[in-house]
Amino acid sequence: MRPLTLRRLGWTCAALALVLLACVVLALKLGAVPISVTDLVWNLARVAIGQSDQLPTDYRLIVFELRLPRILLGILVGAALAVAGASFQALLRNPLADPFVLGVSSGAAVGAIVALIAAPRAVLVTPLGAFLGAMATIAAVYFLGRREGQLDSATLLLGGVICASFLSAIIWFLMTTLAGRDLRGMPFWMMGDLSTPLPAGLRWIFTAGLLAGIGAIYTTAADLNLLLTGEREAIHLGVDVTRVKLVVYVSASLLTALAVSASGAIGYVGLLVPHAIRWLFGSDYRLLIPASALGGAIAIVLADTLARTVVAPTELPVGAMTAIAGAPLFIYLLRRRMQ
Amino acid sequence: MQRCNRARNLKERLAPLRAVAALAFVVLSSARVPAQTRPAHFTDEIGRPVDVRAEVRRIVSLAPNLTEIVFAMGEGDRLVGDTTFCDYPAEATQKTHVGGPINPSLEQIAALAPDLILATKAINRRETVDALAHLGLPVYVTDPHSVEDMVSSIEHIGRILHAETSAAPLAKELRARLSELDRVLAGVAPRRVFFVVWTMPLISVGRGTFIADALRRAGARSVVEAASDWPPVSLEQVVLLEPEFLVFASAHAAETRQEIEDLRAQPGWRDLDALRRGNAIVLSDAINRPAPRLVDAIAQLARALHPEVFATRGGPSGDVARAAEEVCPCAP
Repeated sequence: MRPLTLRRLGWTCAALALVLLACVVLALKLGAVPISVTDLVWNLARVAIGQSDQLPTDYRLIVFELRLPRILLGILVGAALAVAGASFQALLRNPLADPFVLGVSSGAAVGAIVALIAAPRAVLVTPLGAFLGAMATIAAVYFLGRREGQLDSATLLLGGVICASFLSAIIWFLMTTLAGRDLRGMPFWMMGDLSTPLPAGLRWIFTAGLLAGIGAIYTTAADLNLLLTGEREAIHLGVDVTRVKLVVYVSASLLTALAVSASGAIGYVGLLVPHAIRWLFGSDYRLLIPASALGGAIAIVLADTLARTVVAPTELPVGAMTAIAGAPLFIYLLRRRMQ
Repeated sequence: MQRCNRARNLKERLAPLRAVAALAFVVLSSARVPAQTRPAHFTDEIGRPVDVRAEVRRIVSLAPNLTEIVFAMGEGDRLVGDTTFCDYPAEATQKTHVGGPINPSLEQIAALAPDLILATKAINRRETVDALAHLGLPVYVTDPHSVEDMVSSIEHIGRILHAETSAAPLAKELRARLSELDRVLAGVAPRRVFFVVWTMPLISVGRGTFIADALRRAGARSVVEAASDWPPVSLEQVVLLEPEFLVFASAHAAETRQEIEDLRAQPGWRDLDALRRGNAIVLSDAINRPAPRLVDAIAQLARALHPEVFATRGGPSGDVARAAEEVCPCAP
């Protein structure tokens, strides 16, 4: 693998950003209501030159108040999940780690639901509950996965799967006992769904938390490269392993919690996107993290566009699309690893 | 201080002038804006404020029962969109669909440029209602918990549509038919029924639902007395409660009768006295929809549960008799 230069980092990210931009334009065009590319470009130009008040009303509603916020939310969620996945893969030294597979998403969902039951109208409580749920779950999975002081790959994955199914049962229990409450949206939400926009007051906090999480993980990128060769080797090379692990653990949990509280448990993005990026651009974390963020955004924007259009006007949850594409790929990776 | 006083003096001196200006503005603007485009304020049935343009031309319905209400009021041509579940009347299937009631496409709704969206609390998601309201689209949410609530919903919607002339007679007719039923069933001991919403898992109705009320109006009483609206029930519990009749609702009566035949062979179900005696009633699925046809379904059920009363106390109006012909309790 060629050594990473600033130039290569810049070009790779620029190329991915261009692909993302193309996907965003595609996602703005496609939907239950057909919109022609010329109309779209014309109206985007109007907004760009500050004449947004001259937009036709239905364009304003459909393109700028429904599709665009949803696409932006998808970008944030996709970036958060992919970076969280890449981080967990380094932290647990397991290429199959992912917030969804490890049960972290389910943990965040339980936390969010408990918070929702405790304080149904407080906006910040749901992400906070999701954060605590995610932290608790990853800690539990980490300890389940240890055997004789070492992380065991198979035990770790099994621990995650079992945690996920245990937590799903808790969710069902909460939903059944609280049947009187309005939790009808919950199954949708458990599958992962982007149709509910973020409350206006949360948008900036969400974006700030996301950038802080990705930024914090990025500061450890060089150390993560060393950590991947082995914990002992990293310590010998002067890495403060405890600090790095703590930063990555807290930040990746925060990213997962933000993603889950905004859109429910969307699976496989955190697993497959970092793999695709490694396969395309190598496994240097200094490139892997920003490239995964962009790749995750691309994956979710495409998946959600499919979810909105496949059976339009009815909508599928975006998690159904990522699972349909992701599960077979996961099996493929698992089998290739075994050989 | 002095300057402040002077400013206040000036303000006071200008006050009459401002009043005249304000009055002129009001007069001029009301002259320019025709009366029927000024919004009217309503509070919907779950207590949300809704501002609706005085002239409603484009309605989107997000639930089958609301679609039925709009058509029953004769306002079907104002309906520009409904859901894939809206199958009655037949014209409803020809309207532009906005998706299913749980997961409709918000952009499809917005594209129809509705000046009124009708939703119902028991079917639609609060998230959908909030998202549409956030776009500035007026959403009126109904929340019927009794048969009378359903009739009131018709009057509420009639008021918003300025269609009182069609809503009021419809409401009056429904109330008349209901009180006629009350008259026929007066003093009759209610039958103890188990209403089956779903068999896998087994779900019945809670006491706060319009269906529980519809059962009461039909001379029946649900054996399930749950506080939640759609309680899951164990089959053991049903065996213990010993209902006299099982009531199923279906749009495809023949298929449902076949399903009941299959249930009759299953453990648990075959121990139910009601099933052994053939006391299973398949109602039209109108019983599940708080819309005018609910009254037909109530009459249909009353006929099936109390045939002897209807034979002795005289025939109710034609449609009740017509509905009753469709009933055929399962042969033992």
